[in-house]
Amino acid sequence: MSEDPARLAVWNALLASAADEMGATLWRTGHSPNIRERRDFSCAVFDARGQLAAQAAHIPVHLGAMPESVAAVNALAPWSEGDVAIVNDPYLGGTHLPDVTLVAPVFADGALIGFVANRAHHADIGGMSAGSMPVASELYQEGLIIPPLKLREGGATNEALLALILRNVRTPEERRGDFDAQLGALRTGAARLEALAARHGTAELARWMAALLDYAERLTRAALAAIPDGDYEAEDAMEGADGALLPLRARVTVAGGGATIDFSGSATEQDASINAVEAVTRSAAVYCVRCLLPPDAPSNAGVFRPLRVLAPEGSIVNARPQRAVSAGNVETSQRVTDVVLAALARALPERIPAASAGTMSNLAFGGVRPDGSPFACYETIPGGAGAGPRGDGESGVQTHMTNTANTPAEAIERAFPVRVRRFELRDGSGGAGRHRGGDGVVREIEFLAGAGVTLIGDRRLIGPPGARGGGDALPGANALIRAGGERTPLAGQAQLRVAPGDRIEVRTPGGGGWGSAAPDAP
Amino acid sequence: MPQADGVLGVDVGGTFTDFAAIGDGGVRVWKRLSTPAAPEEAVLAGAGGGAAQLAHGSTVATNALLERRGPRTLLATTEGFRDLLEIRRQERPALYDLEPRRRPHVVARGDAIAVRERVGADGAVVEPLAEAEVARVVTEARARGAEAVAVCLLFSWLRPEHEARLAAALRAAGLAVSASHEALPEHREYERASTTAVNVFLQPVVRRYLGGLEARFPGLRVMHSAGGLASAAAAGERPVSMVASGPAGGVLGALAAARAAGHEHVVTFDMGGTSTDVSLCPGGPRYRSDAEIDGLALRTPMIDLVTVGAGGGSIAALDAGGAMTVGPRSAGADPGPACYGRGTLPTVSDANLALGRLRPDVPLGGAVAPDLDRARAALAALGEPVAAAAAVVEVANATMARALRRVSLERGYDPADFTLVAFGGAGPLHACELAAQTGIARVLVPRHAGVLSAIGIAAAPEAVERGQGLLLALDADAAEPVRATAAALEARAADGLRAGGSALAALSWAADARYAGQAHELRVAVEQPAPDAIAAAFHAAHEREYGFAARARPVELVALRCRAEGPARPLPPAAETGAGDPDAIVPIALGDGTRAVHAPRAALAAGAALDGPAVVTQPDATCYVPPEWRATADAAGNLELTPR
Repeated sequence: MSEDPARLAVWNALLASAADEMGATLWRTGHSPNIRERRDFSCAVFDARGQLAAQAAHIPVHLGAMPESVAAVNALAPWSEGDVAIVNDPYLGGTHLPDVTLVAPVFADGALIGFVANRAHHADIGGMSAGSMPVASELYQEGLIIPPLKLREGGATNEALLALILRNVRTPEERRGDFDAQLGALRTGAARLEALAARHGTAELARWMAALLDYAERLTRAALAAIPDGDYEAEDAMEGADGALLPLRARVTVAGGGATIDFSGSATEQDASINAVEAVTRSAAVYCVRCLLPPDAPSNAGVFRPLRVLAPEGSIVNARPQRAVSAGNVETSQRVTDVVLAALARALPERIPAASAGTMSNLAFGGVRPDGSPFACYETIPGGAGAGPRGDGESGVQTHMTNTANTPAEAIERAFPVRVRRFELRDGSGGAGRHRGGDGVVREIEFLAGAGVTLIGDRRLIGPPGARGGGDALPGANALIRAGGERTPLAGQAQLRVAPGDRIEVRTPGGGGWGSAAPDAP
Repeated sequence: MPQADGVLGVDVGGTFTDFAAIGDGGVRVWKRLSTPAAPEEAVLAGAGGGAAQLAHGSTVATNALLERRGPRTLLATTEGFRDLLEIRRQERPALYDLEPRRRPHVVARGDAIAVRERVGADGAVVEPLAEAEVARVVTEARARGAEAVAVCLLFSWLRPEHEARLAAALRAAGLAVSASHEALPEHREYERASTTAVNVFLQPVVRRYLGGLEARFPGLRVMHSAGGLASAAAAGERPVSMVASGPAGGVLGALAAARAAGHEHVVTFDMGGTSTDVSLCPGGPRYRSDAEIDGLALRTPMIDLVTVGAGGGSIAALDAGGAMTVGPRSAGADPGPACYGRGTLPTVSDANLALGRLRPDVPLGGAVAPDLDRARAALAALGEPVAAAAAVVEVANATMARALRRVSLERGYDPADFTLVAFGGAGPLHACELAAQTGIARVLVPRHAGVLSAIGIAAAPEAVERGQGLLLALDADAAEPVRATAAALEARAADGLRAGGSALAALSWAADARYAGQAHELRVAVEQPAPDAIAAAFHAAHEREYGFAARARPVELVALRCRAEGPARPLPPAAETGAGDPDAIVPIALGDGTRAVHAPRAALAAGAALDGPAVVTQPDATCYVPPEWRATADAAGNLELTPR
């Protein structure tokens, strides 16, 4: 069935606009740097059945996870006007604990017409370390777990619930401000949806929400149609705490205009934060397919329809409750992307690039300044992008599941007792090939005060693979350089204390090369 | 050829070069075809030999940057940071692109020289810059055979000695040098290095071009991005300040016309051939200094405007899912929309012609006879031509409405509180429908809607803005450093203005401030450069723009800015508009057969009203009045449109 092309485009703009404006409100009124500067949040509109109708594109890892939040809170039905649900449980619609999602039903003339939702990364949600991204072995250490609950009921805030949450986080005033921003954004989205219903009628709104899902499904099927039917497999690995390789397998089966992405054969879940919940795995897998669609294609439930994601329960890509998950969100999600793209490359060798750095190279440090004031800093360090059929890979750039900016040396040194000694490209770290992989970076930070340091970065043992005969990139390497000059290699995941004058050096992986460097022999 | 008496504003566009002479005789406007290979030819031919002072809006700097046309340029920077211009802020330009790539910078990777020296975050020297090191860097720069060097050392905005010594030595060796503490004395090393490198890279091209023009027009004035005029010498020294100047003239022209008509809060809506520029002006222009052009960070003061959606040349198509798309692909000037006679793909202009909103008997841009058959044939690829045309316009409007609402809300405004000032070739065609979709209740189409930029340039004041980074807590200890910085800035801005030959008429102050801990600052206008005044202005602005103010939280002053302006040049009172000619208003049928009227602009006397559906044609623009709207002509020659 085909709808009127112009009405389809106009309704696409109208619903996307509602999601956009929620995003504008949340960004404008958010209190914390995570929201204001890094824009680590997402906003979405759902139909009355809880199907994703429009999502403002900000964070790829939220892409497949927002629908699960709405499904999870829908257990709280029946809804009444003025209700708002809250959830961050990674096993009930969340991703990792700092991502807190609010969902509100929207009514017209007393009837439910849809939901609006937003998810924001909160700077702290409690747990064993500031920032709630620790090297943990179980979920409880990572912070406060909020199951689906009504934060507002019939317009009245559940003050007891709010008080409980705020007492369990390190920066309650900032949290309250960010919750207010999220609530305000929900009101903006709901008002837009109500206005659409008032102007066009609820039946028309429902009809066009459905039509847009069909539209996105058609776009996705058109992209999948470019892939020859078949089974495409790839394997890669995450690096375990003791240096053991934890296999990650993907089999992409393309048939009948749909695709199944099956992660069977992947490693079992770990007593570490490297576990991904199913929603994160789904987001990363859907991200790969989303990259095959036109750049302005809508992100809605229609995209998911031709796709099945199978992640075996109890594996590193679908961990069971209680497992720690904070690194799964930032590291394992990158490997899921690598392995799905590697499988797709078997089908589309002239379209898919070589692997990128495959890690966010997370560095967190904190401590107490000489004047007694505490400090805490979290950053992700870029790597090389994989080369592709169109050319060399970018060097020193964020890839796949993250795209957050760095903090300038002139800002970080003013804010924290550190000195950035080196932040330059790591020459020769990209894979060789007809097109060269991008280079990673070397980032060296000198501490001017004692601090606790956490490093979480995968791809420290085996470099990102090349494609089509292109060479592999160099893996990353971390080191501690003591004030006296003594150099100690550090593992990919490390937690340590540093003294004034010590330096941490992070060398990030490059991207794989694409195509043989030498022309094939005749 | 018209002879100018007062100031002659010239705006060089891709297709036309527009002229506006402002003098005792009022405002006179004319156009010539542009000469893209040598833009000055059209300027010289159009300006004639009059003794007028030429005020020039030019895209020469922008084009040179887009084409990376400039000398081989080196970057000299602190050891450890040689790849500053490669890594940038480490972001990729598109989220869902499998092979995202950034555009190359003006300095090639490997063309950086690492300098052994280091200044710390408190401004203290951590590692001195040795004389031997200065000599080594100079030798290496010469050995590499480059002509230009950007010098950007860490924390030079705080302590410029190292950078100044190195820059002096490089200049003494005969190299063209921009030093970052002169180009942009503010924190954030990538943005400062990027701005400095682009500046030195553009100098030769811009100086050559302006030098040639100034030989013919002594006292030449050049439009810069912050909506003011500068001398040719100043512009040649700081070509980076011209890069975003293109649309600034239009905003000033629109504001001038709107103010004269009694509108204070306006959204300017400049819809041209390939894109649309929108600027939100609550009582006056908003300024910003954090732009990115072609993937390169440029920190230079500019009018805050956003390029959105589609232009007249945007191509319409059906995608794989069966939805219509309009843009971002554009037919450009070559081949142009189908109705211009060469293109074959359907565009927004073709749709307007097929709908009868552009008139088949009125030349396009005053020059080209529209080819209706060709436009309809192109639209037939999308369906029945008139229905397809309506669809194309609907989708283009929806795209622009989405962008306009978002940029307004992000800045803390509701578009419903503004008047939409529509200009550019296509703005008045779409203005009423866009207004209706964004809740705007009033549209103003200025008398000279097609040459508004040239008018804005001619009416712009001389202006110099100077800034200084501080990163200073606004507490009791801040009074003295703020006072000293303000005094130095005032002297620099006023001297800059006087060096260009202008009298100082007004000084104004702005501060970039933020709550301690925030990474981004907000630019706020301040009455006085004093800590209390800055903090108060910041809290108020934060409340309005971001919905809250944390009055107990410490405020950090990131940078202080001083703007020195020469005398304002208000537009002269509009000449009498004609008596009107009701007989010239004729019935027409729109593309779908709807009965409407066509009025040449001159047919409407002051006060005359025209109910839609109607089409009003001016020599340089066409206005479409939808069925539910009414157009009223005012005494200044503007059209004001409101829902009936």
